[in-house]
Amino acid sequence: MVRTDGSMKAAKFDYIQAATVDEVVDALAKGDGEAIVIAGGQTLMPMLSMRLARPETVIDINRIAELSGIEVASAANGDEVVIKACTRQAAALASDIIQTQLPLLAKAIAYVGHQQTRNRGTVGGSLSHADPASEIPLTALTMDAYVRLRSVAGTRDVAMVDYFLGPMMTARADNEILLSVHFPTAQTGVRTGTAFHEVSELRGDFAVVAAAAVIELDGAGTSTKVALGIGGADGVPKRITELEEKLRGGRIDPGGIHAALGEIADALSPGGDQHAGAAYRRRVAAVLGERALLEALAEAERA
Amino acid sequence: MNTVMNEHLGKNLHYVAHKRRVREDKRFVTGKGKYVQDVNLPFTKHAAVLPSPYPRARILSIDTAAAEALDGVQMVLTGEQMAVDCNPIRLGLKLPEINWYPLAVGMTCYVGEWVAIVVADDAYIAEDALDLIEVEYEPLAAIVDPERAFEDKDLLVHPGHGSNVLYHGNFLWGAVDEDFAAADDSLTFRARWGRSSTVPIETFGALASWDEGTEILDIWASIQMPNFVELMATTLGYPLNSIRLHQDVDVGGSYGVKRGIKQSVLVAYLSRKLHLPVRFIEDRLANMAGSDAHGPDRIFDTDVAFNNDGVIRSLKIRALDDAGAYPGRAPFQLAKPISAIVGPYKINSVKYEAISVCTNKSGQVPVRGFGQAPTNYMIEAAVDHVARHLGLDRLEVRRRNLIQADEFPYQIPPGSKYDSGDYQTVLQKALDLAGYDDLLARRDQARAEGRLAGIGIATVLEPGGGNNIFEYLMDPTAEITTFMEGCEVRVDAQGKITGIMGTTTSGQGHETMMATILGEELQFDPDDIRIVHADSLNALPTRSPIASRMAIMLGSAAAGAAGKIKDRAMAIAAHNLDRPIEDLEYAGGTISDRNDPSHKLTWAEICFIAYRAYHKLPDGMEPGFQAQYIFQVPGGGQLPDENNRVQVYPCYSFQAHIPYVEIDPGTGRVTVVDYAIAHDCGTVINPDIVRGMVIGGLAHGIGAALYEKFSYDDEGQFLTATFADYLMPSVHEIPDVKDVEHCTPSPLTSHGQKGSGEGGYLGAPAAIASAVNDALAPLGQQINELPMRMHKIEALINAKNSTMEKPR
Repeated sequence: MVRTDGSMKAAKFDYIQAATVDEVVDALAKGDGEAIVIAGGQTLMPMLSMRLARPETVIDINRIAELSGIEVASAANGDEVVIKACTRQAAALASDIIQTQLPLLAKAIAYVGHQQTRNRGTVGGSLSHADPASEIPLTALTMDAYVRLRSVAGTRDVAMVDYFLGPMMTARADNEILLSVHFPTAQTGVRTGTAFHEVSELRGDFAVVAAAAVIELDGAGTSTKVALGIGGADGVPKRITELEEKLRGGRIDPGGIHAALGEIADALSPGGDQHAGAAYRRRVAAVLGERALLEALAEAERA
Repeated sequence: MNTVMNEHLGKNLHYVAHKRRVREDKRFVTGKGKYVQDVNLPFTKHAAVLPSPYPRARILSIDTAAAEALDGVQMVLTGEQMAVDCNPIRLGLKLPEINWYPLAVGMTCYVGEWVAIVVADDAYIAEDALDLIEVEYEPLAAIVDPERAFEDKDLLVHPGHGSNVLYHGNFLWGAVDEDFAAADDSLTFRARWGRSSTVPIETFGALASWDEGTEILDIWASIQMPNFVELMATTLGYPLNSIRLHQDVDVGGSYGVKRGIKQSVLVAYLSRKLHLPVRFIEDRLANMAGSDAHGPDRIFDTDVAFNNDGVIRSLKIRALDDAGAYPGRAPFQLAKPISAIVGPYKINSVKYEAISVCTNKSGQVPVRGFGQAPTNYMIEAAVDHVARHLGLDRLEVRRRNLIQADEFPYQIPPGSKYDSGDYQTVLQKALDLAGYDDLLARRDQARAEGRLAGIGIATVLEPGGGNNIFEYLMDPTAEITTFMEGCEVRVDAQGKITGIMGTTTSGQGHETMMATILGEELQFDPDDIRIVHADSLNALPTRSPIASRMAIMLGSAAAGAAGKIKDRAMAIAAHNLDRPIEDLEYAGGTISDRNDPSHKLTWAEICFIAYRAYHKLPDGMEPGFQAQYIFQVPGGGQLPDENNRVQVYPCYSFQAHIPYVEIDPGTGRVTVVDYAIAHDCGTVINPDIVRGMVIGGLAHGIGAALYEKFSYDDEGQFLTATFADYLMPSVHEIPDVKDVEHCTPSPLTSHGQKGSGEGGYLGAPAAIASAVNDALAPLGQQINELPMRMHKIEALINAKNSTMEKPR
C-alpha cells in the first residue's frame, strides 16, 4: 500500500534508477546542479523527507554493480586498496582486505552509526557528504587516500588533502560522481600502528571530536611516518602536520608525544554548538590525539 | 494450578503476581498494533501545518491565495478565522487574558508555533501548499530566560496578562522558622532540571470525521489525557455528546505528552467545514518544536535545616518553572509533588514557594510523574548536600531520615498520609543486590588507578492513583474532589467474560492487568477474558491512564465489578438451589451447596437463566448479566483544611537506586557501568509489566540525567528539532540493570497494588546525579544541573586540572 499521509513527504523530484555510471554522469550533466546521487540514503532520505534537500532529480546508484566492491590494485607507489563508492559500510567492516590492509579504517567504521545504518550507508556516501565530524573522511585524510571523480568531461583524482573545502563542501563538482576511494597500503619493512578514538555523547552519533593516528617505525625504531588527523574540531577534518613533522624521523616516546600536543590546538579553529563549545573541542582534540598516538605507537612497537 | 501465596494479603493468588505473558506484546511485536495512522476512512484528506520561524513576532499579514489555488488543496486555515469560530483552549488555571488557540492569532509566541494549516488530497500537496503561504512577520525581542521573565514587567509574552507569571504561591506546612532556628545547621543550594521530556516513537495523530447524518463527530486520536472530549467540546462549542472519541486505537507511547487538544480541535473543525474526514499526523519537526513535547524546566533554590547527626528538620523550597508560551497543565506540575514534597523522609516542616512563568518557548505538557521526578532530584540532592557538608556517609544520612516501617500510615506536613512502606528493607535489598561493599572497593580501586568513579544513591517515592485536589491548592474555584475510574464487566450468553475500560492505552498493558484481576476474582483463566476499550459515548467515567493510577484505580474498579458479577451469580443460585447465600460456595463459576456439593448450578446454567429464563430469576432482578463499578480515589473526597493540608495521591511506591558510573577525565563522558534497583509497588499484578516500567523508566531517567534537553539559544531560536540534537539514550547507554521487587501491600486497593508506571524514572535522574557528584568529589567539584552533559563535566574537571597536568 502506498502511504500518502506518512511522515515521508519529500518535495517533488524526478527519480532515475541508473544502470551504468555513464547514465549517472549524463543525468548529472543534464541536472545542471539540481541533480543529486543517492546511495544508501542514510543522510539524504531524512533530508528529503524534511524538505531540507529539494533536488529536481535524484539518481539512484544502488543497482550499479561496477560501483560496489573492494579490491587490491597496483598503483604507482605500490599497492592500493580501492573501495568503490557504493560499497556498504557494513561490507567494508566485514572485509578481510580492510581488516588486514587498512586496520585504521576498520577501527573507524566501527564508530559509524549503528549496524542497521551501516547495512545501507556507503563508504562513498560518507565521503561525498563530508560531515566534518564523520569518521570515514577523517580516516581517508589521515591515510593519504584519494578519490576518483567522474563527469561527462572525464575522470580525475583528488587527494584528500585537497578534497575537503568546508562543512559538507568538497572539491567534487555538481556534475561529478565519486567513483571510488583509494587507500595506499602499508609499506613493507616497517612496523605500523594505528588507532582511532572518538567521543560522542551517544554511541553511534557523529563524533563531537575524533582522532585518527598512524605511526610507522623502521627496524631501528625510528619513525618513518606519523599521521594524526582530527575530526569535529574544525570545518573540515584536519591533519596536524606540525606535530607530525616534530615526531617524524626519530624515536617516539610518550613524553615526546605529550610535548607536541600544543600543535593540535594551534592547528584547529573549532566552532561551538549545543553539544560542545570551541574550548572543549580544542582541549579534547589534544586528549584524543594523545591517546591515539600512544595507542598507535604501542601497536607499532608490538608489530 | 500454580498459586502464589501473598502473605500480606493472606490468600492464595492464582493469576495476580504470577509471571504470565503480557497479552498486548503479541500484537506489538508482530506488527499488528492499530494506531491512528492505520484507521482508513474513504475520502480522507491530509493536513500539514506552517510553523513560525520566530520566537516572538507580530503577524502583519498572511496571504493564502496561492496555496488555495494549488490543485488538490481543499482549504487553508489561519488563526484569525479559527478565533472567530472557536473558543480559546481553557485548560488549567483561569487566566482570562491568555488566549490559546490552535493556530497563532495576531502574534507568534514561540519558534514552531503553528500559523496556518492546509488540508489537501495528500500529504505531499499539503506540504507543497505550505511553501506558497506568504506570512509577513514583524520580529520582536523574545523572553527566554525564566528568571528574567519572572522579574520583567515590560517584556511580556502575553501583554494583556500584565506579567509573565502564571502562578506564584506560598505554602507553609509546620513551624519552618522555629525548626530552622532550632536546627544545628543549615545550607542552601540550587538544583536545575533541564527541559527534557518523554519522546514517543509515534508523534501525535488525529483523524476526525463529521457525520452530517447523525451530527456526531467521530475522532480517532493518539491521546492520553483526562477531560479530552470535554475540552474539545468547549473549545469547538459542541455539546459533549456530539463527540465520539474512539479509544480502541493503540497509542504509540506517551507518558503524559499525548495531549493533542489543539491538533484534534483543528481536524474536527476542518472535517466539519469540509464534510470530509481529515487526518493530521505530525512529523518529527512539528512534534518537537510546536506540539506537545516539552516537559518541566525547573530551577530549585532550597534551604535545608539539619542537625549535626544528619537528621533533616525542615525545608524551604523555591521552585521556578518555565511553562513556555501557553500554560496548559504546566503550573500544576508544581502542585502534584506536594503529595510527596518531603520524599520518604521524616521532615518536620516545609515552606514551598511555587512559581510558574511563561516564556517564548513551546508549551510545557505533563511528563511521567507530573513534576515528581524533578522534585525527587532536588530532595535527593538536599540529602547528599547535607551528607557532604557534615562529612557523613550518604547512606547513613538516609537511614537516619527514612520513615520507619512501623510508622505507617505516615502523615507528612502537607497532609498526605503515606499508605504503607518498608523503606529500610528495600534499601537493604538494593545494597545487597549492588554488592555495596564490593562496589565501594571497586570505586576506590578505580580512583587509585586515576579514574573518576562514583556510586549514586537515591531513595525516592512514586505517588500513584491520581487526585485532582492539588489543582484546588492553586485555584480554590476548582472544587474537584473525585478522581474516579469505571469498569464494566459483561458475561455473555455463552458465559464468556468481557471487561470494558473507558479510556485509551499507550503501552502500559492495561488489558493484561484488567484481565488478570477479573480472572483472579471470578476464577477464570485471564487469557479467556476479552478486554475492550469503549468509545467516549459508551464509556463509564474515566480520568484516563495518568498518575500511575490504572492498577490502583482500574484494577480496583475491575475487582469491584467482578464482585458484583459474583453477587449476581450467587443470588441467582440461591434462588434456584433454594439455599441461603451463606450456604453457597463459588468455585470457578460453579456455585454449590457447601454441605452438599452435588447440589449446584454451573456457570452455563447461571448464564442461561440470566439471559433466557426470566422465570428463574429472583423477583425484581433485571435480566442480563453485567455489572458496573466506579472506584473513587481512596482518601480523596476532601477539600484541604484551613492550613492547606489534604490527602493528595493515595498510594506511595518506593524505590532505592544504586548506580555505579565512571567518567572519562579527558572528555567528561559519563558511562553508567552498573545499576541496581530495589522497587516496592505493593502487590505486583504482572511481573513483566512492572519490570518493564522499572527498567524502561530507569533508561528514561538516565536520558534526563545525562542527555535529553530541548534547547533554545539566547534569542529564543529552537536548537533541538531532531534526534541529532535532542539526544536520547539507546541500548548502548543503558547498562544491564539488576532489579529486585519487594512487596508492602497498600491497604487501600483491591489486591494491595500501588502505582508503577512512572517506575525507575522517578529516581534515576537523582541517582545518576548522586553518582556523578560522587565521582567528582575527589576533585572538589560538583554539578547541580541536568542534563549533566559531557562538556560541562569536562569543564569542571578541566578547571580543577588547569594548573596541573592534563589527565590522560
